[in-house]
Amino acid sequence: MSLVINQKERQGIINPIFNCQPCGGQYVAIGIKDCIALVHGGQGCCTFVRLMFAQHYKENFDIASSSLHEDAAVFGGTMRIEEGVLTLVKRYPDIRIIPIITTCSVETIGDDIEGSIVKINKILKKDYPDRKVILVPFHTPSYSGSQVSGYDVGVLSLVKELAKKSEPNGKLNIITGWVNPGDVSLIKRYLKEMDVKANILLDTESFDAPIMPDKSGFACGNTTIEDIADTANSIASIALCKYEGGSTAQYLEDEFKVPAIIGSMPIGIKNTDEFLKNISKLTGKKIPESLVRERGRALDSMADLGHMFFADKKVAIYGDPDLVIGLAQFCLEAQLQPVLLLLGDDNKTYPKDPRFKEIEENSNCEIEVICKADLWELERRIKDKSLDIDLILGHSKGRYIAIDNKIPMVRVGFPTFDRAGLYKYPVIGYKGAEWLAETIANTIFADMEAKKDREWILNVW
Amino acid sequence: MPLKLLKCDQTIPEREKHCYVKAPGESINDFLPSSDISTIPGSLSERGCAFCGAKLVIGGALKDTIQLIHGPIGCAYNTWHTKRYTSDNDNFQLKYVWSTDMKEQHVIFGGEKKLKQSILEAFREFPKIKRMMIYTTCSTALIGDDIQAVARDVEAELGEVDIFCVECPGFAGVSQSKGHHVFNMAWMKEKVGEIEPVITSPYTINFIGDYNIQGDTLVLEKYFDKMGIQVIAHFSGNGTYDELRGMHRAKLNVVNCARSAGYISSELKKKYDIPRLDIDTYGFNYVAEGLRKLGTFFGIEDKAEKVIAEQVEKYKPKLEWYREKLKGKKVCIWTGGPRLWHWTKTLEDELGMEVVAMSSKFGHQEDFEKAISRGREGTIYIDDGNELEFFEILDEVKPDVIFTGPRVGELVKKLQIPYINGHGYHNGPYMGFEGAVNMAKDMYNAIYSPLWKLSKEDIREAL
Repeated sequence: MSLVINQKERQGIINPIFNCQPCGGQYVAIGIKDCIALVHGGQGCCTFVRLMFAQHYKENFDIASSSLHEDAAVFGGTMRIEEGVLTLVKRYPDIRIIPIITTCSVETIGDDIEGSIVKINKILKKDYPDRKVILVPFHTPSYSGSQVSGYDVGVLSLVKELAKKSEPNGKLNIITGWVNPGDVSLIKRYLKEMDVKANILLDTESFDAPIMPDKSGFACGNTTIEDIADTANSIASIALCKYEGGSTAQYLEDEFKVPAIIGSMPIGIKNTDEFLKNISKLTGKKIPESLVRERGRALDSMADLGHMFFADKKVAIYGDPDLVIGLAQFCLEAQLQPVLLLLGDDNKTYPKDPRFKEIEENSNCEIEVICKADLWELERRIKDKSLDIDLILGHSKGRYIAIDNKIPMVRVGFPTFDRAGLYKYPVIGYKGAEWLAETIANTIFADMEAKKDREWILNVW
Repeated sequence: MPLKLLKCDQTIPEREKHCYVKAPGESINDFLPSSDISTIPGSLSERGCAFCGAKLVIGGALKDTIQLIHGPIGCAYNTWHTKRYTSDNDNFQLKYVWSTDMKEQHVIFGGEKKLKQSILEAFREFPKIKRMMIYTTCSTALIGDDIQAVARDVEAELGEVDIFCVECPGFAGVSQSKGHHVFNMAWMKEKVGEIEPVITSPYTINFIGDYNIQGDTLVLEKYFDKMGIQVIAHFSGNGTYDELRGMHRAKLNVVNCARSAGYISSELKKKYDIPRLDIDTYGFNYVAEGLRKLGTFFGIEDKAEKVIAEQVEKYKPKLEWYREKLKGKKVCIWTGGPRLWHWTKTLEDELGMEVVAMSSKFGHQEDFEKAISRGREGTIYIDDGNELEFFEILDEVKPDVIFTGPRVGELVKKLQIPYINGHGYHNGPYMGFEGAVNMAKDMYNAIYSPLWKLSKEDIREAL
């Protein structure tokens, strides 16, 4: 069947799919241990993003603002960076790294971030001779790309700054892309079961922080400066997401001859097979029976649901590009029809992604991909009846489309604030495929009951 | 004790003038914390930006207006799905946000064409909506796009639409507060007086500085209805664009949030000689007092008394039940500013609680005058508090519950302290008589959760 790639025709956006680049940079920064980013710009650029992380994770993450005010906007804001960095260094004795993240305002006025860093480094060396605090510029003007490219810029900037060739470490680099703590836990478990060591960028497993008796359980990232430095010495890099970390894997290959395998995100059975086979090929370690069994359990679950409940059901998917593509591939495995895919930013390379060709070849339905999309594209098509769908896969900011049009929706991606605990569950790997299939089924089942639509069928399946 | 330099602020000693501990016999004039001044970069201040104050707080509450944000996508994304101001038309204002989606070429060559195109598209896609507000953001302000000219151009072209423009880049002022001011003054200057409202009662008011968080506005409107008072305009909870254009016809401005909307109330007084009545809409005593003042103003005291008696009879026993459970409990209030002075005394008088620390993100001097004069001795009053200060204060005052935003709430949870959403509420509304009971109920359920006791136990300890 056919797959067409179109662009949204409107100039403006109604209900955006993504946040802006600095948000992606901030997301990278919170994944690093002993790190507080300084967002150079107006205060909202930092405060709103902290709120958004709190919406998704129900946790606090520390991010600072340079608090750009009017005088700095007119006469230059580099003094605000200097003051901001020094305030952080003075008040946070454990801080080791400060990404300096630009925003639209300071990119527009042209503050010289690198020049400021040189100047601040001199001050730090003089005033804090016993401490090493690393400053890393993230250039993330919000009038380019999206949170997706901002994430990509953030990881790349860190690796460019920190990666140093020394001794081979026998490890893999796993560059996760923007995934949930549950996904990171799954990756770590798979690596452990295969007896493979890795530098994980970014290890966000600890974002799911406990309340501890000694009150010590704060959420923070777990990837260290040393992990990042060590990426130059690894056997190879696997970037799970082409658009979120892919450029970093490529850089490590170009600069340090660390071979790169970039995307497909291991969503669904086949992508996970490939992920594990890649690990096996690169490290010489065997895929253990435990994972064959886990794969089998996922297939067992999906087989109960596929031709009974999923076949011919039409799905719309929006979110991060690698996630959307991966979910579309998963849908085809589960006999769902991913008829509309929405990619929410202006990346011109999406239409060339080979995965679309593959999806087209495997599909049994007409598929439309919309680039530069917003959520109004989805809502308008539903409202004017040009699109008839049975399921929406996407993040919580699209919730009213599902609610108002009475379409069952499964929350995936970022942010998913209107359901509890989703960040704990993987969508990648076999376990993730199983979770997706069962969550989709349960969502459809609840919808059948609410609408009294053959709800009596749910007895013997 | 005068102003206080916290330990975490030893390296930024200018914070001393923002932190006051009230002691007996002192004149607050001697120790009023500095407020509404520049933020210290890198301090992890809680503050947001001027754009937020205009769009998210005030304009965005209107139920019939397109909120077009002229800038890159983040400012739109970030001010969507974060508020709890409902409306009686199925929450149009919560469901949509509009952006001109500025790109690099527009920053270089100007964004006016893209703005115009986006306005036309927005009206085309929502043919029933005829009103729009346009906000500048950091980058579009810096490049100097003339949004007014574009808006007037579109109005001429489309005829039946009306557009209001707000110049509120995030770097203006030092906090959300500047956005409130710009919005108020521009609306007064450009839009008030444009429409003549239909007058249906001899008693007419504007209800100013209330944003219908979880239905607050609707609670108060019920009282006004019972007293036969017509609300010409709500600024801006559950409000419409056009009702705000008729504000000049009210006989009285009733003001709750004097911080965000005191400006327009004062301007209406200046230009149209409409008196301004500041009331508190939280807590039994305050609400009753407010309704009495309204009754006196219009000479309908009996009606006010009837509403008060009805409500008190219905809700007072419930409040008393919670008072027994809550008296003596210690509270922190870390919010924007006004709720410090709205809440401190009412929690004390009506529930027997002690407000032991208060922090204001963007309050001005007058907010601190009010909060300190109403607040307790020994209580810490902070302007523009930051995260390390919060930790230190918690250590010192050991509260039983904290009113603050959800992110800070999640943080203090790790310290085994419950929070109530002091901005968007837990289970509101919190205004009015029933709201006071809701608020007490949420505090009771927060403080008496079995989880706090469990969380203190270490299962490794000897049996």
